[in-house]
Amino acid sequence: MLGNFLNNYKSVVGLGFVVLAVALVEFFEVRAAVYPGLLPFFEWLKYSSWIGYLGITYGSVYATVQAVHLVSMAIIGGTVLVADLRLLGILLKDIPSETITKGTHQCFKYSLSAAIATGIFCAAGVADKVYYMPVFWIKMLALLAGSCFMFFIKQPLLNSRPHKEIGPWMLRMLAVASISIWFTVAATGRWIGFS
Amino acid sequence: MNNSKWDDRTIAAASSSVIILGALLYYWVGEVQSTVELLELAYGSFKFFNNPMVF
Repeated sequence: MLGNFLNNYKSVVGLGFVVLAVALVEFFEVRAAVYPGLLPFFEWLKYSSWIGYLGITYGSVYATVQAVHLVSMAIIGGTVLVADLRLLGILLKDIPSETITKGTHQCFKYSLSAAIATGIFCAAGVADKVYYMPVFWIKMLALLAGSCFMFFIKQPLLNSRPHKEIGPWMLRMLAVASISIWFTVAATGRWIGFS
Repeated sequence: MNNSKWDDRTIAAASSSVIILGALLYYWVGEVQSTVELLELAYGSFKFFNNPMVF
């Protein structure tokens, strides 16, 4: 009975487990306990790692990598907007949404990988600054939630059947949630740069 | 079960969308509130198009 339920509702059980884990982390104040222990890592990242050394020594290297980071983020924004505005029925209505969501997802995967790789380099150069910024942690949380949402929730549902069988309101909700979370990633990213 | 309209993936998608939208709304409304409080501290009252040259 329980085995059958777990087998039929793998995604729901996984989501419930994540929500429970987050609630427990907050309830037992694990975040506050772990946070001070992360400072030595951030200091090492800036002053002792080779990426930190490159970032703070050669401004041209930092600027070039940051440019690649911004271009990757722009491509992520573009793919998310094209796919989600199509799901909302606003853009490219003459092309099947299945074609667009599958096509943009390939591009999204590569640009996300590039954004994360260059983002680590960018963060290393200012690691002692971003460690103290709440907005940096909000961005990391939004990035993690957005990536998990995209790879484990949104894309598996969209690839599982023709979109006509999913229901228009479900597609709209997915699109709005996706746009909102990637907007937050972009906005908090600029906030870090602005601070 | 897979033929049902509300199958595993659909329920997970609906729940996670609601959680994400709720959390983001909570965060951004909180940011707006703290910004308004800062403006009130700075200018005494909050109005759109505050002119910093006029106190």
